[in-house]
Formats: sequence, C-alpha cells, structure tokens
Amino acid sequence: MVDTLNDASSTAIDGPGDRPGDGAAGQRRPMLSISGISKRFGEHQVLRDVSLSVMPGEVVVVIGPSGSGKTTLLRCINLLEDYDSGTVAVDGEPIGYRADGSGGRTRLPERAIAASREKIGIVFQSYNLFPHMNVLENIVAAPVRVKHVPRAAAEARARELLAMVGLSDKAAELPVRLSGGQQQRVAIVRALAMEPKIMLFDEVTSALDPELVGEVLAAMQQLAAQGMTMVVVTHEMSFARDIADRIVFMDGGVIVEAGKPEEILFAPRTERVRAFLKRYNDRYRL
Amino acid sequence: MTNLNPLYHSFWYLLRGAGMTVLMAGVAIVPATLFGMALALAQVFAGRVAQGAIVVYLFLMRGIPLLVLLTFAYYLLPLTGIDLPPFWGVVVVISLYYAAFMCEVFRAGILSLPIAQWDAAKSLGMPRGLMLRIVVLPQALRLAAPPFVSLCANLVKATSLVSIVGLWELTMASREIVERTLAPFQIFLGAAAIYFCICYSLALYGRHLERRVLHGH
Amino acid sequence: MPFDLHFLARLMPELLEGAKVTVELAVLTMAICLVWGLVVALAQSTRGPLGWLAGAYIQIVRNTPLLIQMYLVYFGFSMAGFGLSGFASGLLALCAQNGGYVAEIYRGGLQAVSPRQYESGRALGMRGRTLYTTVILPQVVARVIPPLTNQGITIIKDTAQVAAIAVMEIMKVSEIWVEKSANTYDVFFGAALIYLGLTSITGVVGRLAERRLAFAQ
Repeated sequence: MVDTLNDASSTAIDGPGDRPGDGAAGQRRPMLSISGISKRFGEHQVLRDVSLSVMPGEVVVVIGPSGSGKTTLLRCINLLEDYDSGTVAVDGEPIGYRADGSGGRTRLPERAIAASREKIGIVFQSYNLFPHMNVLENIVAAPVRVKHVPRAAAEARARELLAMVGLSDKAAELPVRLSGGQQQRVAIVRALAMEPKIMLFDEVTSALDPELVGEVLAAMQQLAAQGMTMVVVTHEMSFARDIADRIVFMDGGVIVEAGKPEEILFAPRTERVRAFLKRYNDRYRL
Repeated sequence: MTNLNPLYHSFWYLLRGAGMTVLMAGVAIVPATLFGMALALAQVFAGRVAQGAIVVYLFLMRGIPLLVLLTFAYYLLPLTGIDLPPFWGVVVVISLYYAAFMCEVFRAGILSLPIAQWDAAKSLGMPRGLMLRIVVLPQALRLAAPPFVSLCANLVKATSLVSIVGLWELTMASREIVERTLAPFQIFLGAAAIYFCICYSLALYGRHLERRVLHGH
Repeated sequence: MPFDLHFLARLMPELLEGAKVTVELAVLTMAICLVWGLVVALAQSTRGPLGWLAGAYIQIVRNTPLLIQMYLVYFGFSMAGFGLSGFASGLLALCAQNGGYVAEIYRGGLQAVSPRQYESGRALGMRGRTLYTTVILPQVVARVIPPLTNQGITIIKDTAQVAAIAVMEIMKVSEIWVEKSANTYDVFFGAALIYLGLTSITGVVGRLAERRLAFAQ
C-alpha cells in the first residue's frame, strides 16, 4: 500500500477513520492540509514534495533522523520558513499561499499571514517565553494586543489554562524563576490562549533535563485527550507510541512511511525505518 | 610648578567649560541614538539599496577621523550658504559620526536575541511593529545598554576636539587659561580631573548595567 | 566625477608625506602598546599596590580625552624644562592612552578562556609553560586579534589629533592646504581617501592575521 515515498496524503489509509464516533473517513475536511511542499536551501533539497493531511482531533507524530526535514516542515506550516512550492491550509483556509487553479500559487499579504498564524499554535524547543515579562503577561500579551481581547477576559482565560497544567501559583513569576519543564508548560498555555485550531510541537522536550520531560508530556496528553489537533516532532518514542494516532517517518526531506503506531514502531515496512528504530532500540529499549 | 593657585582661581571658569561640554554631549547624544537605532533597524529589515547605503556610511564613519569631519564641516558649511551656528554644526557632525557606532551596538543587541524569540512572537500572530515594540527591542536595548553607555562616555571625550576648530568648551577654556597663566600642568590636570569625573561616572554606571544584564536573563 | 584631478595631483605629494608621518606614528604606537599593554595587564593581575596602580592607570587614561593628554605632555613638559617635540608628545600620549585599552583587551582575551580548558590540559598531564603555550595562549591570541585590529584603526584615526600640536601629519597638511587654496572640498576628499585607505589596510591585515594565527581554534 504505502510503498511510494511521499504518498501519505491519501486520507483513505491514514486518519482516525476507525475511531469510535467518526464519520466516514475522508468526508470530514482535514484540519491541516499540506500539499507538495518543496524547499531548497542552497544546494541542499530540504523538503521534496511533501504532502500530509491531518484530520480534526488527530495527533500525528513525526519522527526521523536529524536533518530529515521534520523541523523545517513544521516551521513551513505557519510560514516561519518559506518554501519554494506547495500550499498549506488549516481548516480549509490557505496559509501564506493560495493555490491559483493553474497549478501556481500567489503569496498572501503579510497582514493575512500574521492573522492566519493565530490559528496555529507552536511550541519550540527552547527560548520560548519572553524573559522580560512575567508568566501572565507572556500569556495575555498576544490575545490582548493582537486579537484585542479585553484584558480581564484574557487574564481569566490565562488563569484557567494555567490551572489546567498545574501552574496557577506561577502567574506572577518571571520565566527565569521557572524550571525548564514549567517554562515549556507555560509556552503551551501561551499558544493555547490564542485559541488555535491546531498545535505544533517542535521537539519540545529535547532541551529538558530528563526528570522534567514527564510533566510536559503529561500536559500534551491532556491536550490530545481534549481533542486538539496536534503535530508533534519528537525523539521520545514511547511517548509517540502513547499519544499518536498516526506516526510519520521522515528522512531526506520525504515522508518515507506513515501508519499506526503499532505498525511503524513494531513492524515497519521500510528498511530505513527499521534501521532508525533499531538504533533507537539499542539505546533505549522500546 | 606644584603651585595650585592658578587652578583655584580658574576653577569656576573650567567648570563653566565643563557645563558646555556636558551640554554639547547631551544634545548630540539624542540624534545620535535615534539615528543609530534607525540605521540598526534598517540594517535588519530594509531592502538591499538601503542596506548598501548604510554599509557605505558605516565604512566612512569608521575609517575617517572625527577631527577631519569636524574641520571640513567647519570650512565647508559657510560655503553651502546654510546659516547654522557653529554649536549646532559640530553637534550635527558629532551626532552623525557616533550614530554609526550606535548602529553597530544596537544591531549587535538585536541580532544577539535568540531566533526563537522572533519565532514565538511571529507565531502568536504579532505584526512586525508590535513584535519589535514589546518583544525584540525591550530585550535588545537591555543588552545594548552597557556598550551604549560606553559610547556616551566616548562622545563626551570627543567634544574636546571642537576646541581645535575654535569652539568653546572645557578644553578650549583650559587652553585659554594656560595661555594666560602659563601653568599647563595644573590647568590641564584640572581639566583632566573634570573629564575623569564625568566619564568615570558613566563607566561605573555602564558596569552596573552590565552586571544587571548578566544577572537578569 | 566632481573632484579636481589637477588639484589633487598637486596636493598628493605633500599629503602623502604627511601620511608617512601618520603611519610612522601609528605603527610605533601599535608596536609599543602591544608590549606596554601586556606589561600593564600583567601588573593589573597581581594583587597589592601594583595591581591597584595599574588599574587606576587604565581608568585614568580611558576616561580622559586624548587631546588633554597630549596638551599635558606637550605644554606641561616644555614648561617643566624638558620640552618634547610634537611628534614625541603625540607618541607618548597615544601610547599612554592606547596602552590602557590594549591592556583591557589582553585581560578580556585571557578571561574568555574557560577554566575547563585549564582543567582539560592538566588532566592530560600538562603543566605550567606547556599548558600555556599549547592550550591557553593560542586561544587568547585568537580572541584578541579582532579587538586589537579595531584598536589599530582607532590609533590611526587618533593620530589626526596631533595636528593640534603642530605635527605635519595628514590632518595638519590638510589644514594648511585648505587655508592656502580655499579648496576645502578636494582637500577633504584627498585626506579622507588616505585615511580610508590606511584604516582599510589595517582591517585587511587584521583579518589575515586572524586567519593565520587563529587556526588553532
């Protein structure tokens, strides 16, 4: 079925079609549609015609070796990085570029791009929070100044979200007083405060001390359970197994294989995936 | 030679000169800072033409002595017909000169911010103006503050050069007194002491800011 | 091109003579400061009165204008009986001030080497001289070359100030020619060109030195 390298976009094989309560797979609109993204950086082709669809509420985990393009793909979604061809759409609306029928595309104006970024929440590996603002200010700054949410409402929502991740008592603290894990949880909350339709996670636990990783993963689990659409790039294989509805393996700028966690992690069809997982297993014993 | 009388008698005159020095420096720092900031932002954001022009400008200000610029502005200005009092003439030249160095300092501050800060602000949907105002500049300026204060101290010292083109400030005042009293050691040492007080205070403040920068983030 | 080639052709020989003096002054200053700066830096690293004295010296020369230092030497010494020429006074003042800056550069370079380098070297069995020559000094050299290059550029620009004590370097020659010919524009152009040339060459030399001496990084 999935032998060709980059055909993970057919929603028929992937997607949570067999989750209880779902309608016929492929009839709901994908929350995220990535079509044919290619990006070259100098001599190096970073992404080759990558396509991916993520259904509402689905959690897709992207794994792969360094340099496989997975972080770049994530950053292309909300146009933090530009790409040479292809389009991205969130909940049907184009982000950054609009396809113009004839196979080409036109770039949307900067203001539209900034506005569409509100629909996409992203959490980075490090240096997420604004160090000169306290936690509460970090969370409400964008809702108040970008979406013009009244301050009182924004602060109330912020405290709600902080309570959800167990950090209610840290609202007045400066980021430098928080541990790495706490900072990442606040970063998740800050992204959530913009009420995004989809959340992207770029190796958010890679820079953390091991004992702090669990609290962040727990927060992400919570989010998934609440039905948030998520794309997660991570090295944590056991977490991937626990949280993913679908796992996508990338290497050399293409999606090599995609499927359910049990398939990919325990019975991969491609040699590259097998080699990658073997190296991982030898070190961590999945 | 170690008779300090000439210094006592002329001290008030020297202090008035110092007042002019501080005034000149204070007035010049404002446009230097504003223009320097504008140049720094242009270097980060503007198009290729503007950036090319700025590179040329920085090259000129880095490579030509301030005294040369002052002297030739002094001779050139009357010829162009612009009726500018000498005080403002030198202030303009000093500002333009130091703006180039301020630009380097601000640019370094802006660029030393981790990219993730820009990414986070952009990803929250902030337009560029807002991003600069509440995320980038507050942090960049904090980082740039210590070298900025250092530049201000240099600017104060540079005002001494205007005495060579005949403007009156502390150095000129001391030269006048020396000519009268023939006591160069005492008078110039006195002037040096006054400069020292001004510049060393700035240097101490700069060190204080540096400690805060290291501590805070 | 809006400059007068004939005029420049007449101007250049004298201007280049002045440039020779400028270069002499600058090179001597740089050479002396490399050594003197090291002496001051070493003195500063000792505890006790010598260290304090060196520190005070650095603060004093950094926080007073070069022009005042030059006047102090030139007029002060001549009044005291052992008059120095303009060139010698300028050289003394330039070395005094820049020696302080160079000492700080050395100190910064040494401090920037992480203590872990010392530990690693010792763990490999190195001690004393070997440790310093194979591990520490190459790193210090790599780190101090860029700021020393900048200091060299500063020195070249500072030499313009000796015009105030009647030394026939570029600035002084330019002044004379402007008075003589009333052709401010072209004289400025010629002088600026030479200064830009000198500072650019210094920059290039510095970058080359960086590449050759710093490959140990």
